[in-house]
Amino acid sequence: MTGPAPIALTCGEPAGIGPELAAKAWDTLRGTLPFVWLGDPGHLPQGTPVARIDDPAEAAGAALRALPVIPHGFGGPAVPGQPDPSHAAHVIAVIEQSVAMAQAGKVAGVCTGPIHKKALKDGAGFAHPGHTEFLAALGGVDRVVMMLACPALRVVPATIHIPLAQVPGALTASGLRDVLRITHAGLRRDFSIENPRLAVAGLNPHAGEGGAMGTEEIDLIFPVIKDLQAEGMAIIGPHSADTMFHPAARARYDAAVCMYHDQALIPIKTLDFSGGVNVTLGLPFIRTSPDHGTAFDIAGTGRADPASLIAALRLARDMGAARAATG
Amino acid sequence: MTDPKPRIAIIPGDPSGIGPELIARLLHEDGVTDAADIVLVGDGHVWHRGAEQAGLGIQLAPIAAPDLHDQHGLSWLPMQTIAPEDVRIAEVTVAGGTSSLRCLDTALDLAMDGAVDGVLFGPFNKAALTSAGLNAEDEHRYMARYLGFRGYHGEINVLGDLMTTRVTSHIGLRDVADRITPEAITQAIGLAEDTCRRAGKSRPHIAVAALNPHAGDNGKFGREEIDVLQPVIDAAQAKQKHVTGPWPSDTVFLKAQRGEVDAVVTMYHDQGQIAIKLMGFDRGVTVAGGLPIPVATPAHGTAFDIAGQGKANVGATLEAYRLLVRMARHHRAARAA
Repeated sequence: MTGPAPIALTCGEPAGIGPELAAKAWDTLRGTLPFVWLGDPGHLPQGTPVARIDDPAEAAGAALRALPVIPHGFGGPAVPGQPDPSHAAHVIAVIEQSVAMAQAGKVAGVCTGPIHKKALKDGAGFAHPGHTEFLAALGGVDRVVMMLACPALRVVPATIHIPLAQVPGALTASGLRDVLRITHAGLRRDFSIENPRLAVAGLNPHAGEGGAMGTEEIDLIFPVIKDLQAEGMAIIGPHSADTMFHPAARARYDAAVCMYHDQALIPIKTLDFSGGVNVTLGLPFIRTSPDHGTAFDIAGTGRADPASLIAALRLARDMGAARAATG
Repeated sequence: MTDPKPRIAIIPGDPSGIGPELIARLLHEDGVTDAADIVLVGDGHVWHRGAEQAGLGIQLAPIAAPDLHDQHGLSWLPMQTIAPEDVRIAEVTVAGGTSSLRCLDTALDLAMDGAVDGVLFGPFNKAALTSAGLNAEDEHRYMARYLGFRGYHGEINVLGDLMTTRVTSHIGLRDVADRITPEAITQAIGLAEDTCRRAGKSRPHIAVAALNPHAGDNGKFGREEIDVLQPVIDAAQAKQKHVTGPWPSDTVFLKAQRGEVDAVVTMYHDQGQIAIKLMGFDRGVTVAGGLPIPVATPAHGTAFDIAGQGKANVGATLEAYRLLVRMARHHRAARAA
């Protein structure tokens, strides 16, 4: 049979909620959205029906009766909440394996389970600042963009995990231009939006109100917008961030580009706490992930909510189909 | 013994905007005229025009200022602040700004004299106020100066049962981190607590938002949480106050949505405004926090795009009125005690 290729779901940190969410997601989706889990079957909750497969092409058939798994032995059980240093190298190897499968066209995209950076650093000398940077290195690209998506909103923070005091200094015209271009290209290629409309937030309250409360809008953001408009991009702003997220405003754009982490995260979490999906644009393969961490505090209790992972799998499937259609 | 029912002065706000229409609608809402004695302060033609815009009637029973101490029901304190032909619907005018300020001054005088227990105003137009000589950053600073009040005060944004105060407000983001000082945070917490009390919550839960993403993630993305915020919160807790945080700002408003907190202290303008406006664009209320008298207004503006068309939504004005009545009742009781 030749359906669309499945999505590869990596196990992430096995001491976190990744494995139990994979089992829950399969239980919800069954055969409707084929994905294959990469990890140690011994880390899944007891009683999870598992179909061990070798080739992702078998996933669609197997998913009707069990969670399709391409096994990767970690050499020992996972204790919820307590990462095992000897597992770190395996967590990394699983990510590498999923990327290799995506690059070879055997899977339509990669959905990554949450990792624990410190555990990987302590256990295997993991030197990348985060999951996304590691994937960029594997994909051979310098610059990627993080986008968060839920049905009501897509947001892109132009700066991410830095202190608020460093945000103004970290914003540069070339950096902002890259973020806007990658976002624009990603929406075209992976979201089937022919002419993506971008809205850009100001940095300051009321978008600076004509320079009265900060001049970054005038000196930096507006010139970048004008340059890209001249290239033909549908891009508007800088807008006052507090009035660009209500329904009527959202109807005017396909993605909002924000200047800092919380400017992007506050609106999306307020609109949809559990359904947000993290998307990496600019990679040579599709990558999504749920918008939560390893949640060691509730790992193993069965309380973790699979909504974000399910949304991430669905979005990876849709993005894979869009990319296949646009070539 | 003092009558527990408070007396509220209501002014129309800018006569060119939706304020007069909103107040006309407000007076027809269930329970409004029973909850408080009401004194409409302003020009008769402005009130009549607002009622016409709303397609409703309005009863204007004149009263003189000296008689206000015994006033009951719904009365009108006549003023002449603007000629009828100078009212230009949906336009920024000096006359509109002047009328706004004169009504405001009179209502503040009444409140300071103890003739009324609180002031509700319809939306002002910032540009009109400025052209009419506001000579202040905003109407909150104007009111404080007019009242001769030198204490800590500031705009409080209210949505339903949730209040938010800000440590910094209308300044560039570049300047925010330097202003996050123990003194400024303590004042913003105090303002939230005081306003919650005045609204009838005896031991409010105040959640303090963090400055940095993920609340700094143990110092990895900024140290203000460790060096400044946590010690202030610890000190408040040591005084038996129900103050918690610092909470990551992308999820602190979810606690608020679940009703777990009474107030959120935010570090900068957009941190609170993005969430509040998303949670209730049509219901937001602004309170002039810290002033010696209760003052409230709907959070939205004059809405010139729909002014005069009879389309204005009274929701936020009704919320502002209800909150003001609670605060005014508290104020009245405190004055009598």
